[in-house]
Amino acid sequence: MAKKKLDSKAFAAQKRGRRRLLTFFRIIKYGVDNFVRNSWLSVAATAVMTITLLIILVVVATRVVLTDTVSDLSNKIDMSIYLKTDTTDEAGAELKAKVGELSSVRTVTYVSAEEARAKIAEANSDDPAVLAAINEATNRNPATLRVVVKDINDTTQLEKFVATDTLIKEHLSADYKPSFAGERREVIKSIGRAVNFIQQIGVVVGAIFVVISSLIIFNTISMAIFNRKEEIQMMKLIGADKSFIRGPFLIEAIIYGVIAALIATGLGVWGLFSVADTLASYQIAIQPALDLVKNFALIGLLGMIVIGSTIGIISSLFATRRYLKI
Amino acid sequence: MILLDRVTKSYGKDLSPAVDRVSLFIEPREFVILVGTSGAGKSTLLKLLTREEKPTSGKIVVGGIDYDTLKDSHIPMLRRKIGVVFQDFKLLPQRTVFENIAFALEIAGMTRHEIKNTVPKVIELVGLTGKEKQFPHQLAGGERQRVAIARAVVRQPKILIADEPTGNLDPKHSWDIIRLLEKINKYGTTVLLTTHNADIVNKLKRRVITLEHGKITGDQAEGSYRQ
Repeated sequence: MAKKKLDSKAFAAQKRGRRRLLTFFRIIKYGVDNFVRNSWLSVAATAVMTITLLIILVVVATRVVLTDTVSDLSNKIDMSIYLKTDTTDEAGAELKAKVGELSSVRTVTYVSAEEARAKIAEANSDDPAVLAAINEATNRNPATLRVVVKDINDTTQLEKFVATDTLIKEHLSADYKPSFAGERREVIKSIGRAVNFIQQIGVVVGAIFVVISSLIIFNTISMAIFNRKEEIQMMKLIGADKSFIRGPFLIEAIIYGVIAALIATGLGVWGLFSVADTLASYQIAIQPALDLVKNFALIGLLGMIVIGSTIGIISSLFATRRYLKI
Repeated sequence: MILLDRVTKSYGKDLSPAVDRVSLFIEPREFVILVGTSGAGKSTLLKLLTREEKPTSGKIVVGGIDYDTLKDSHIPMLRRKIGVVFQDFKLLPQRTVFENIAFALEIAGMTRHEIKNTVPKVIELVGLTGKEKQFPHQLAGGERQRVAIARAVVRQPKILIADEPTGNLDPKHSWDIIRLLEKINKYGTTVLLTTHNADIVNKLKRRVITLEHGKITGDQAEGSYRQ
């Protein structure tokens, strides 16, 4: 008897489970049907969603390209610590190692006096007068430590090291001050400040764009749902559960998100590749962004789908909420 | 089947109540006509029965369900036991006749097999065989109302509420709809009909409840329409 009771319970549970699954599939079917049958609204909502995702994509891409360009630029800005002309290569190597150990330093290269002279000769290879002067001159060029720091706004550690380390003080050139001090440092600092400012503006403008376009999407979906409020009313009155009424709208929102993500990503990637050459000719570091797209296109697409669907789902939830009260 | 005990519904303290201390008992299988001018409280009364509105005071019991103890989450279940038909049909415009009727079964989690068995029988009952694949806008008003009735009765509810079902129809089609409601009533469903049509009320010779200013002013077993 007890066993039989359990069986009937299990049977009922199984039946409930089957009905739930059936309902789930019906919700998806209704969502897809609604998307197809309300084609005009679907096109409008998908278009707005596509534009939003494109804006997000452009903001992100601009940020990536800008960051790359800036780091490219700051990698090119090196600071020179001039050493005495009689600094030996051994001492130079030791100093290079010591500077390289500083946490704020990205790279350091040692240029010996001979190398410095050779470089000047090479740079001026088509100017016989300079070449002649170099050959005639008896004074030697100073050896140099070329330092690239991680953050061009933060040179305090390097400055402190130069001011306090006994070994470097011993070899420091008396005629030429290190380039991070004085006028050149101010130029470098102002570039740094401009970079920070541009990046911050980028984040703020991007956020504003995303908020505005989310509101537009919310409005579009709200209007779509407003148009069908009688339908929702009727569904309620014939006894549809809230989830059964809301579900298809969420499915529709996900479809908008997926299609918009595909179109926006396609357009974005195509756009990026078609302007790549032009941008590169303006010394803009586009290559890292292109590599990023090539390597992570699928993840990017998935991300876009998630962003689009999430905006759509949240909008739908808010827009249906007011019609779903009892 | 339907019990109202001193039910009052007011929408504001300063306004006179839309339904004022209405007490009413409707037996199973009864066919009841609710009459009254616009604003007499008919619509509010029906909304109280379908739980679109909660009464300010009083008790409502429909089909053994006491509305005082009914949880919000069980309202859909209640509504599946009550069929409703409206003056403006309220069909899903993007769905065919068959789909509109099947929808009432789909929301209850019925299988495709059950739906395929049940829907054609109801379509035959309301006389729409052959129009299963048409969309609402392709049908005449009377036919649309038949679809709405089919949707309301496909789950075999104990009660059918028809709110001015003939309001948008010409006399001939109105009578077709009324005959259909009578047929459904004969099969055992309690029917609660509201109408403004004196001709229908007078010829049907059914129980007539008259509402005026939210109060019941008449309840006749074989009533007629009073101006």
